[in-house]
Amino acid sequence: MNRYYSRRTMLKTSTAGFGYLAFAGLSTLAWANETSKTRNPLAPKTPHFPAKAKRVIFLCMTGAPSHVDTFDYKPQLNKDNGKSGLYGGRLLGSQWDFKQRGNNGLWISDLFPEVSAMADDLCLIRSMHCDQPVHPAAQTQMHTGTAQFVRPSLGAWTLYGLGTENDSLPGFVSIAAPPGQSQHYGSAFLPAIYSGTSIGRSGLGGMRNTMARGGASVPDIKNPRLTSKQQRQQLDLIQSLNRDKLNRESYQPEVEGIIESYELAFRMQDALPQLMNVSDESEKTLRMYGADGGESEAFGRQCLLARRFAEAGVRFIEVSHGNWDHHQNLSVDLPNRCREIDKPIAGLLRDLKQRDMLKDTLVIWGGEFGRTPAAQNGDGRDHNNKGFTTWMAGAGVKGGFSYGATDEHGYAAVEDKCHIHDWHATILHLLGLDHEQLTYRYAGRDFRLTDVHGTVAKGILS
Amino acid sequence: MARRLLFLAIFVFAASSIPSLAEELSDEQAKFFESKIRPVLVKECFSCHSNQTGNAKGGLRLDTVELTRIGGNSGPAIVPNDLDESLLYNAINHLDFVMPPKRKLPESVIRDFREWIEMGAPDPRVTEPTVLEVQITPEDIERAKQEFWAYKPPVAGKAPQVKNRSWSKSEIDRYVLGGLEQASMTPPKDAPAYQILRRLSFDLVGLPPSLDQIESFERAYTKDPDHAVAEMVDTFLDQPQFGERWGRHWLDIARYAESNGRDVNMTFPHAWRYRDYVYDSFNEDKPYDRFLQEQIAGDLLPAKTDEQWATNLIATGFLVLGPKNLAEQRGTQFTADLVDEQIDTTTRAILGTSVACARCHDHKFDPIPQTDYYALAGIFVNTVSYFGTPASKYGSIGGVQNRNSGNLLRLPIDDPSDFEQRLSPEKVAELKSELDSVVQEIAESRRSRRMNDAANPQSINNIIRLTVKAEMLSAIVGSIDEEGNPISYCMGVQPVDRMQTVRVLERGEIDRPGQVVPRGFPAVLQSNPTVVPNDSSGRLEFAKWISSRENPLTARVMVNRIWQHLMGTGIVRSTENFGTTGLAPTHPELLDYLAVEFMNSDWSIKSMVRKIANSHCYRMGTEFRQDCFEQDPDNRLLWRMTPKRLDAESIRDAMLFVSNQLELDRPRASEVAKAGFMRVRDGNLVNPAAFVGISAGMSRSPGRFQSMMRDAYTVRQSGGERLDMINAKYRSVYLPIVRGESPRVLEVFDFAEPSMVVGERESSNTPNQSLFMLNNPFVIAQSEALARLVYQSSEDRSEQIQTLFRLVYSRDPRPSELAAIRSFIDTFEVDGDQRTRAVRTYVAICQSLFASADFRYVN
Repeated sequence: MNRYYSRRTMLKTSTAGFGYLAFAGLSTLAWANETSKTRNPLAPKTPHFPAKAKRVIFLCMTGAPSHVDTFDYKPQLNKDNGKSGLYGGRLLGSQWDFKQRGNNGLWISDLFPEVSAMADDLCLIRSMHCDQPVHPAAQTQMHTGTAQFVRPSLGAWTLYGLGTENDSLPGFVSIAAPPGQSQHYGSAFLPAIYSGTSIGRSGLGGMRNTMARGGASVPDIKNPRLTSKQQRQQLDLIQSLNRDKLNRESYQPEVEGIIESYELAFRMQDALPQLMNVSDESEKTLRMYGADGGESEAFGRQCLLARRFAEAGVRFIEVSHGNWDHHQNLSVDLPNRCREIDKPIAGLLRDLKQRDMLKDTLVIWGGEFGRTPAAQNGDGRDHNNKGFTTWMAGAGVKGGFSYGATDEHGYAAVEDKCHIHDWHATILHLLGLDHEQLTYRYAGRDFRLTDVHGTVAKGILS
Repeated sequence: MARRLLFLAIFVFAASSIPSLAEELSDEQAKFFESKIRPVLVKECFSCHSNQTGNAKGGLRLDTVELTRIGGNSGPAIVPNDLDESLLYNAINHLDFVMPPKRKLPESVIRDFREWIEMGAPDPRVTEPTVLEVQITPEDIERAKQEFWAYKPPVAGKAPQVKNRSWSKSEIDRYVLGGLEQASMTPPKDAPAYQILRRLSFDLVGLPPSLDQIESFERAYTKDPDHAVAEMVDTFLDQPQFGERWGRHWLDIARYAESNGRDVNMTFPHAWRYRDYVYDSFNEDKPYDRFLQEQIAGDLLPAKTDEQWATNLIATGFLVLGPKNLAEQRGTQFTADLVDEQIDTTTRAILGTSVACARCHDHKFDPIPQTDYYALAGIFVNTVSYFGTPASKYGSIGGVQNRNSGNLLRLPIDDPSDFEQRLSPEKVAELKSELDSVVQEIAESRRSRRMNDAANPQSINNIIRLTVKAEMLSAIVGSIDEEGNPISYCMGVQPVDRMQTVRVLERGEIDRPGQVVPRGFPAVLQSNPTVVPNDSSGRLEFAKWISSRENPLTARVMVNRIWQHLMGTGIVRSTENFGTTGLAPTHPELLDYLAVEFMNSDWSIKSMVRKIANSHCYRMGTEFRQDCFEQDPDNRLLWRMTPKRLDAESIRDAMLFVSNQLELDRPRASEVAKAGFMRVRDGNLVNPAAFVGISAGMSRSPGRFQSMMRDAYTVRQSGGERLDMINAKYRSVYLPIVRGESPRVLEVFDFAEPSMVVGERESSNTPNQSLFMLNNPFVIAQSEALARLVYQSSEDRSEQIQTLFRLVYSRDPRPSELAAIRSFIDTFEVDGDQRTRAVRTYVAICQSLFASADFRYVN
């Protein structure tokens, strides 16, 4: 039994630096082939195979953006405007012009002028589909693979598989996560250490104003009474009590875990606020992200924050942006949303590129599903989980590339279909993880992100 | 072949009389339908409402009799014999709905529909139900019953003979020692007295021992360890804190929370009654079989007094506390999911088996065919859930996004919480007439909007505004009687008026019915199949069966949970999975012995706790032994006691307790009850009106509603930490548990996710916890209180430090620790006069003791 072996080996080899995980949970660590490195469950781990992507920035659009108005060009839809659609309703052509962008001529609408300028870095997946036609369930499936059960999120699996590179910061952060959706960055049955740390979740600490400016808050990040020096003295006392316990009890990995988590927490107190303070960024950079004011400011700052986390070695960074559910008022609301994110995303891609980080950072954009080619309420579109578009950019994916297709109107994925399970398998693959091998034993069976599904979309790999 | 009239696809509550199921259509009826009804449906309705055209506006499809009677988002299109409930009839008459949109059908056609509905809406467009073949055969089930340990009834055998007779003090010890001796291992040394006391105290009442208890226990233990432990156990079992501690374990299983969770997260202001019921039940040592019966079928049990009746009703809250997607647009789907959640929670909590796996296909691993799932579903489908978001006499007045409001059960006794306000009769009358007019206004606005179609977006906002207003007003009006006295409500269930049969659903999809499945229980768990009478939902029978000795799992699952809470891990370590994919018991004979003892003791939980806590095993030391570890790394044979990390409640309560701040009295109701019916947002409880106010420009609207809006914003501005309750001094088990917003002090220490059945909590050590212990104002406040207390306890510094250690760790400081403290006192730099400096230094020391691993772990 591997898990016994793993634990025994850990015991033999561990003298210090075990880390975080309570003893009781240890025997459930199923992934035993990393014995020398699992001592700290967050230490960087070797992937299953070499890969280009070292980290992920996931730009999550909640509410489901319309694909047929943005990244999925459907000339036939415009021609058939007003006719009855295959699945009923009257087809609604896109009111925004599509143009071919970049050297490879990717069709992207005028709603994303700035992102379009980066077309040669984008890998559009135009054949997405998922099982869930309603937002919460589809969001949950996008994050965890299933809407039926509480399961670990994509970021938690990534962290479990790869560890992280900065010991002063959490390995998985979720910026501006919608409240009450902690499952989307949770670890479920994976050890809690793999769950995402929510940064700038509105409501915690009453930081609404800071939030609006794209800043962020972390609870209990600063001591209200002690100076840093006093706190270090206090921490030394805590640690000496902990070490005393460790010395008198011959084997206590959980005490070592506590010792380490205090050191990380202590470092985070400096590192995190510092990382989140963007005042050292130049005006030019802020402008590039659209973080210098206007409607793109909040998301611009969040994207900038994402880059700073990425730069600092955080493994998985998610940034959420909401209000894409356009059942009505599409002609006004959709361009508004796009303006909020267009510059920030282009800025992020440019910035990563100029820092030579796009080559090992995987940027992902997408919502939980797409919208119907047929009209709803005259000026709106309904939910459509049968076909939609997400895109990736950066490490390991072909730039200026379009993968898969929906039917002539954009209803359903028909060519090189990419189910959310396939999408997950592909993301893990890009990180060097085999989605069939990345398992965790819980309640008597091995679980994985893709359950029994998932095929890597090889066509998009560069 | 007889054409069956499938009256409803499953899960729709029949509100009116239904023609006989097997009734065949007469030629005349068929002709009526074919000549007068079908052509109209095809011509006038199908373009927007049919599978044929692929349009399902408002979720409505009219292709088949089933789809017609499921209806769309607003309810069934046709209810036989009921013109008022038949929304299609409502629509063609241009009442609340206006169909066809632009013109009215000729009077003669409307008359035809009237006639048709009144004759019972005979409809030949019946989908032939497919007969779903299950793959798991009766032979498979029989074989599993013969072969798999968990499906055989527990039988108490004889404990093995052991060599070390003096060590084994009880049957339990002989079973455990037998295993160790067989593996040539010896039991470990006993833990020191203070550790045993600390274990007992935290395990039984969730608090550290007091200074007096430490002293007297150590004295008694030196004299006679067995007697000392037995006395201490009895003392703790008699304290009300026992029920709070062990009741909370049950609440983990019962996924207790005070809001429904998910996207539209509305409060459950009456959930606390179930919480208190659970604590009281554990304190009364209510027999576990009775406890289960009350929770599953309390409403159906006889009650001698109104108080008993009230208790029984409150108990059924168990079935309705689960997370719900109130925003779900399809009512049938909502109900199917509600039933599924009830099946899942009940079977995993009580049977350690996930029957819900068989919703869409046969269970992949366990011998549970899909039909067994629908046999159980039949029980819960014939049960009405009262989850109250909000209570309303006006039926389901939901919010804009709260599309599936339930109602509440009125208690037979008056037992208002302190937060339920009395209103003057005049005020009541005023609110009621306002509500009536709002309800009427909504109907009118809807009508006028439909007439003008999509041209006027302002009217949408108007309807939203009015709907929220109605929702809020009905919540207020619903909570008081005619005189303005608060009505006491609880959450719970009631039987339906008229039983429905249930059909298996292909792939679990609501519009793909298969054969009818009689109500019943999983075959593999029954010795003789129970037959549920036709006129019974089967819920009472289910409650009796699940809590009976015949059932091979119930007692085993519960004693395993008790064992786990005391010994650290279960005998079956997968506490919610006693199936083939679960983990096999480490001591199968011990498990059976305990299960039989449990049943023989009239299902007494306290007796079982007493039995285990008095065993020698419970006193085992935690000493690590390399040779044992090599042989048994998972400690399956129990060669030592595994150190346990305190759970979140114990950590918080212990800080309050040792700083002498803890209030042991039960607070009345809950913070959520105080807030009432609210939407949960940003760590706060917010008046639902605040949401539409923003989008619909409500804050500019005149009248009473404006002040309501102002209140809503005021609550909102008071900060997002309301639910963290850092100033509360009562026990953690009374903190508000709102889904998605658990108080930080609990959340950070692996509190049970309130949407899941949690038999065993995580026990992680994270940087987040470290930040909490280093910086959280609650921790600092308790450190300050403790520092003052310690400082005043003696003039002598050594005595002060000794008191501190005994309070926090239940033991004297070790020399090395004293040295560390002294060195800290000498070097810690702090301003102020001598006393200030001394106290502030002590604050830092007290916080350090709280923060250290020794506080968090019980050895």
